[in-house]
Amino acid sequence: MKEKLNQTLKGMQGFHFDLLRHENKVIVAIMAVLFLLPIFISNKVVINTFTLILLYILLASSLNVVNGYSSQFNVGQAGFYCIGAYTAAILTTRFNISFWLLLPVSGLMAALVSLLLSAPTAKLKGMYFTIVTLGFSEIVRQLCLNWTDLTQGPRGISGIPSPEFFGIDYPRSTFFYYVVFALAVIMLFCTNRVLASRVGRAWRSIREDDAAAASLGVETARYKMINLAYSAFWAGVAGCVYVFFQRFVSPDTFTLDESFNILAMNIIGGQGTLLGPIVGSVVANLITELFRSALQYRMLLYSALIILMMWLRPQGLVGAINRDGGTRLFRRTKPAKSDAAKGGTAA
Amino acid sequence: MILEQIVNGLGQGAIYALMSLGYALIFGVVGLVTFVHGDVIMLGAFTAYYSFAYLGGNLLLSIVLGFAVSGVMGFFIHRICYNRFFNSPRQISLICTIGMGMFLRNLVQVVAGAESKPIPNIFGSGAVTFAGLRITYMQIFIFAVVLILVLVLTVFLNKTRVGMSLKSVSMDKTASALVGINTKWTTTMGNMIGCGLAGVAGVLLAMYYGTITPMMGGTIGMKAFCCAVLGGVSSVGGAAVGGLLIGICENLGIMLFSAGMRDTVSFLLLILILLIKPEGLFTRRSR
Repeated sequence: MKEKLNQTLKGMQGFHFDLLRHENKVIVAIMAVLFLLPIFISNKVVINTFTLILLYILLASSLNVVNGYSSQFNVGQAGFYCIGAYTAAILTTRFNISFWLLLPVSGLMAALVSLLLSAPTAKLKGMYFTIVTLGFSEIVRQLCLNWTDLTQGPRGISGIPSPEFFGIDYPRSTFFYYVVFALAVIMLFCTNRVLASRVGRAWRSIREDDAAAASLGVETARYKMINLAYSAFWAGVAGCVYVFFQRFVSPDTFTLDESFNILAMNIIGGQGTLLGPIVGSVVANLITELFRSALQYRMLLYSALIILMMWLRPQGLVGAINRDGGTRLFRRTKPAKSDAAKGGTAA
Repeated sequence: MILEQIVNGLGQGAIYALMSLGYALIFGVVGLVTFVHGDVIMLGAFTAYYSFAYLGGNLLLSIVLGFAVSGVMGFFIHRICYNRFFNSPRQISLICTIGMGMFLRNLVQVVAGAESKPIPNIFGSGAVTFAGLRITYMQIFIFAVVLILVLVLTVFLNKTRVGMSLKSVSMDKTASALVGINTKWTTTMGNMIGCGLAGVAGVLLAMYYGTITPMMGGTIGMKAFCCAVLGGVSSVGGAAVGGLLIGICENLGIMLFSAGMRDTVSFLLLILILLIKPEGLFTRRSR
């Protein structure tokens, strides 16, 4: 009975979607559907839900760059999200800087802070780096909570103005939908190109084997820093959009649960591919929206889903083809022989 | 003034020491990092709340209940998060513990409500004045409890059969299995005891802070990790010393900066230690 259960579980883990070979086409198809969505649906609530889905595609993809493409495991993405958000909020309420300029500025600010974090810690062994990112996320939130002169503390910053768009009067939700959509598309395209470039190849070599990459002349610490900065940049940009979308920001949004939320989307969708975070964001957000009525039990379901995914399919729904989603660096025993090899030697 | 803060630091540090003791034990015996420790501590705190509210304010009962409830939770954590994943990449069990922590937090929130709960102060404001320093009864009680637990744990680990099998599994799991130790049950036992200690730490924390919320586990778990790393994650005694040190440093830091910067101080200390001596202060062997 137990053997049957284990066999079924192994079967589920081994099944990989062949669509990964056509990954880019699938992404384009999904994006085309999302592009046409507001034309056919005029319900504001639905559009806002999908705006949130697109925002989380942006966030989850930014986390995926770190978790799936370098040998680091970051669980504190909410920290960079928070930095981008507060940069935008403070600069717009105090100096009236425009939304469009703030998009890259928030991203750059988050990337800068990430360099401060990764400079001393890029050489830490896997688990220690993870804990440091966790602590970093909490510290950022605490700073926003306590540095009341700068951030108005727990009251948060309100009264964020609406972005100007050539002076045209626009319907708010559709506007933000397309802004986030454009950002997500730009981010995916940029990431695709970066991954195909020299930097991306360096990242992949570090992911596969840190020591081997270093022995072949790849400056691992430097590329890990670039990796984290790139990821933080996009999280910061997402923070800026979030602030203008909600017209309000407070430290409560950027708790550890938010970090875990973004991480969960990566886990469910799969790390190490561009499609994974998209799938993860869609699935996770649709589940939370469907269960909006049972608000209290929603998080219980969500966390149970995470545990279930680890049991049934740890590489996520459309994760990297190598079974562990690029986490080989954390392997503690020798990799298990493939079934073919086992069958061969047994006979 | 400084001496007073050191006394406060020792009182708080004793609780941190207990938290990180549990953490070091779990990390040593099970060999996997856990993100659910903070929420197990929170569980102990809520056990204390219900014990004080519905079962009378018996201190001993609350501590025993805290140990028992968290210990049982430790059993479930082992079965769900660790048992299947000993030969898998470390990340998988880590993510499982993250999910488990989320589950516990929200379960307690659903059952007990999200608002913060008060814990009655049994000791009142009674204190002992000793060489010009004011030491409250509660601080003495906390320090005594932690001291007793550390002594019991040392005797248990070194003189009893179960304790010695825990130590041997923490040194080399395969070799222990080869000499006939049931590693599955030993790791379960290690996890249960570690979580039980966390539960007692939660009870003490509830009494010390006076209010508890379901979301308190996050920062606390991180702090437990800081203390364990400071002392050397594989050294049980080191973890205790690390806890005391962090308690003292935190209180001194509050004196220099403001009360809100408490967690920032421990985190900065963690980064400092990781940069200078990542194995911790008291590690005897490299892991």
